[in-house]
This record gives sequence, C-alpha cells and structure tokens, in this order.
Amino acid sequence: MLNFIIRRLLIAIPTILIIILLSFLLMHSAPGGPFSAERSLPAEVLANIEHKYGMDKPVIEQMARYLWGILTEFDFGPSFKYKNQSVNDLIASGFPVTLTYGIWSFIFASLIGVTLGVIAALKHNTWLDYLATGGAIIGSVLPNFVMAPLLVLLFSVYLNWLPGGGWEGGKIQFVILPVIALATSYLAGIARITRSSMLEVLNSNFIRTAKAKGLPNHYIILHHALKPAMLPVLTSLGLSFVGMITGSVIIDQYFSTGGIGQHFVNAALNRDYSVIMGVTILVGSLTILFNLLVEVLYAWIDPRIRY
Amino acid sequence: MSLLEVKDLSVRFDTLDGRVNAVNGVSFNLDAGETLGIVGESGSGKTQSVFALMGLLARNGHASGSIKYDGAEILNLSEAELNKIRAEKISMIFQDPMTSLNPYMRVSKQLTEVLIHHKGLSRKDALAESIHMLDAVRIPQAAKRVHLYPHEFSGGMRQRIVIAMSLLCRPKLLIADEPTTALDVTVQAQIMALLSDLQKEFGTAIILITHDLGVIAGSSDNMLVMYGGRVMEYGNIEDIFAHPAHPYTMGLLHAIPRIDHQGTELVTIPGNPPNMLRLPKGCPFEPRCCYAVKDCKSIMPELTAQQNNRSRACHSSVESLL
Repeated sequence: MLNFIIRRLLIAIPTILIIILLSFLLMHSAPGGPFSAERSLPAEVLANIEHKYGMDKPVIEQMARYLWGILTEFDFGPSFKYKNQSVNDLIASGFPVTLTYGIWSFIFASLIGVTLGVIAALKHNTWLDYLATGGAIIGSVLPNFVMAPLLVLLFSVYLNWLPGGGWEGGKIQFVILPVIALATSYLAGIARITRSSMLEVLNSNFIRTAKAKGLPNHYIILHHALKPAMLPVLTSLGLSFVGMITGSVIIDQYFSTGGIGQHFVNAALNRDYSVIMGVTILVGSLTILFNLLVEVLYAWIDPRIRY
Repeated sequence: MSLLEVKDLSVRFDTLDGRVNAVNGVSFNLDAGETLGIVGESGSGKTQSVFALMGLLARNGHASGSIKYDGAEILNLSEAELNKIRAEKISMIFQDPMTSLNPYMRVSKQLTEVLIHHKGLSRKDALAESIHMLDAVRIPQAAKRVHLYPHEFSGGMRQRIVIAMSLLCRPKLLIADEPTTALDVTVQAQIMALLSDLQKEFGTAIILITHDLGVIAGSSDNMLVMYGGRVMEYGNIEDIFAHPAHPYTMGLLHAIPRIDHQGTELVTIPGNPPNMLRLPKGCPFEPRCCYAVKDCKSIMPELTAQQNNRSRACHSSVESLL
C-alpha cells in the first residue's frame, strides 16, 4: 500500500509538469499580454516592461525560469496586475476563503446528499423517493449562477436575514449563502449516485442472503449494504471535494468573497500569466492528491482491491 | 404431523406487462429429516415457491394459499415474525456462492452475526461455534481461515461456508436452491455428499431444488415435478424414476444423456416453456405433449392421488402413456 502511494506520488510529478507545460503554452499562444490595454502603451515602454519581466525571451526559456523559481524558492512569480503582490500572496489571501466555504459546502452536500440518497433508495418508489429524486433533479439543473441570485433575492432582499455578499473574515452569516449556492448541485449529484448505488446493492444476492439469515432490516442496511453502496459515491465525493475547495468563479464573483476563483477570472481577463499558472497548479495538484486519497479509501472499503 | 405442509400455494407478480402467475396451486408435505427434490426447467416456479416460504419474494410478488411449519401458518408473516423463523427454523442455500456471500465482510462476521443475533451468544462463543461449523463442512484450517474474506476461497469452499452458515442455528429445514449449479462436476459431488452427511448428523429436512435429475436421484426421498408453475407429478423418487406417470416427467427422464448410448443425438422435449404472462387455460404442457387429448387444452387436470402415495396431474390414463 505504502509502495503504491509513493509510486502514485512519483507519477504525479510528471503529470503536474505536463499541466504546467500545457497551460503555459496555451496562455502564451493567446493574443495580447498582461500589459496590453485599451489605451496601448508606447512601443518602447512596452518593450522595456516586457524586458524587465523577461517576456521578450523565447517561451521555452520563460517557462524554464518559471519552473526554476518554483523548484528553488517556491516562488510562483509576481502578479502582473496587482501592485506589490506575488502569486503566493494572492493565493495565501484567497485560498483560506475558498477553503472555508468549500469545506462547509462539502460537509453540507455530502451529509445531506448521502442521507437523501439512502432514504430514497430505502423508500424506493414511494412519495419520499419521488420527493428526494425530484428535488435532486431540480438541484442539479439549477446552476449556481441561478441559485446565487435566487438565494440573495429571497434571503437578502425580501427577508433581509443574511447579507447578499462580502466576507468579513468568514463570519457565519456571510458564509451561509455561498455555501448553499455552491453545494446545491453537488448535493443533488451525490444524492442521485447514492440512490442508484444503494438500490443496486439492495438488489444484490448477498443482501438476499442476509435477509434469509433473519437479520433485521436496519442491521442489514448498516452492516451489509452501506459500505459497498459508498464505493461509487466515494469517487464522486473526491472530485466534488476538489471542485468545492478550489471554489467557484461564480460564487466568488457573485458574493465578492475574495476567494481564488475571483483571482482566477481577473487573471484570465488580464492575461495575468503568473496568477493563472499558480491557480492552475494548485487545482491540478489538489485533484491529483484527492484522487489518490479516493483510491486509498477504495482499498479500505473493498477488500478485493489491493495495490 | 408433517414438518412442512404446503397447500394450494400460488405466487403472482404484478409487472408492467401484466400479471405473471409464477406458481399456481402447489401442494406438498415434508416430514422431518426427509429430502424433497423439486425439479423443473427455468421459470417453472421452483425458486419462487421457496422464496414465498422464506418471505423473500420481490416487492411486486404476492403469495396466497397456506404454508404450515410445525402446524403454524408462516405464509405472509410480518418481517419481524419471519426473522424469528429464518435461520432458526428454516434456512436457505443459494445458487451462486460467488455472489451470495458479502464480499466486503470477513467470513467470521458473516457467520457470527447469525449466532449473535439469533442465539444471543457473545462474540467469542459465536466465533468458536462458527469455527466448529466450518470444521463440520470440512474447511481445512478453519480457525485461521475464518478471518478471511469470501474472495479468498474457491467456489466449492464458498458453498461450504454458505452451508455452514445455514446450519449454525440447527434449523429443522434447509432449502437448497440449485446448490451445485454454479460449481464444476467434481465439486458438485462433494457438496452433495457433504449435504447428505450433514443431514444425517443434524437430522435436517431438505428441500432440494434443481434442474439436474442426476443431482436429486442420489439424494432425495420424494420428488416434485413442476411445469408452468404447477405440480405435474409427485411421489417417491425411485418409483417415479422407474415408472414415470406424467408425459413431462417421461420427457425429462428421456432427455438425460446416457453414457452407454454413444453417438446418438441428445433427446429433447420439442417446443418451448410457456409464457408465464399468458398461461393457457388448460394444462401448460399441452402444446408440447404428444399424449394430449381433447380436454387438455381447456381444462387443467387436477393433481390426483394414485397408489403408493403418488399423485399426478394428467388427463391421459397411466396405461395410455406406456
């Protein structure tokens, strides 16, 4: 097992390098740059600035320098747009925000999603099942850019219970709406996967055996059905977790929370190369890390899986 | 009084395509310690009959009639009442040992949970008893291997585990639903021998469901032949093998390949099993029967008692079949 983890971490290194290579090349092949604006700078000034940042060198050399900076000093470079801020500073200020509402969203989505899914499966084809399944479908077809304004309209404008934006260091009333807006579609997806996976397990032969053994229903569900039913859910939870803790561009934009999603959009709009790279590497590494974690959990749940 | 009295058992399923009458008026008795073989092809209602007995029918299934165990009615009991009967009085072995054990759970837990739940044993006592039972089904190094997972055993060994599991509470009746179908022939023979040894040791009555006449020939006392959800013939197994009194039974016996008839074509019963959604009004076997008479199409023959405690459901006389 330990062997497997080490092997997978080693494979992660070339994977991340490829992610860096591709995003670096993609960005530099797009027209414009961080210093192109509507009122263009005089050519000489532009050339000076580009020289200062090493942007007049070949792309490969730029990339090599960039990588060297990361490897030697964990320096992801300066932002080209924010004054006196390095990418590290931006991520250090944005990521805790994203992480906070991301983790809450994950807890909210997985607890309620799994519970709803299990109830729907146990009460298969009853009104409870239809209610849960119907709710899940509504949840998954409502994208968060629709959810967010609807929530603000209801809770901030009409009821005036919660603020419609801002972060204020993560006070609870500022966290609730972003969490709900972000978690809804994940919650719905988790509920749907849980339901179908649970239904499949409940129809399997070994559950029939457990019934024939005269074990009570709640015992069968808890001890025999839940663990195998969680396998497919786990895959989806792993991916959802990364999706949630790396935040959502829309949530950050809409609620002005100041998470890394917001930096990412601004960076993309401004060709702020280093910030885009930084966020991409962060999301890429987290994805790889949590996929690995899911695989390790697989082996823990299913004794037939051995690495 | 018989251990088990099944009277006029019917099972129907309401499906989107209509009502499926899987079992129609099946009756039989089983005495303590005796073995009853139920034979019939796929879809003849063998398995659904015993599922009704164990309360394991699918949600859309409904059973009617009467099943008495030790004189008490057990058909359509509540789950809680059924759970007192399952494993304690009647237990069941399923067809495919590859899927009937929980792959996510150690064998030890799958065995001990039965004893802990039904007998209130402590974990330690339950484990000792489980190991004892694994010894009884001849699993080598049981004390060590009880802690393994099902996938770490071969198919034959898994079926032994399933058998051990079913006997933990010493039930008086064991239902074996095609216990050897998923196993290869040499393992089949071992499992059948094991079952009959355990039957002698524990005095368990067995209902053995199979479509393999060879399997029941060596192990059953009585035999029930089913077709289209109905009983075609019932009686002592040696009697039936020697003098089948129903065209379907005769067809089945003819269809057994003979090792001494080399090179000849395999005999089959012409035609296909009936569509259970649209069973004929008369005898379900009529379309395939070469002895059919006028009434067969419209009137279902009653299961009538013959001499030697045998019964048959056929309009043609026994003499006319010879």
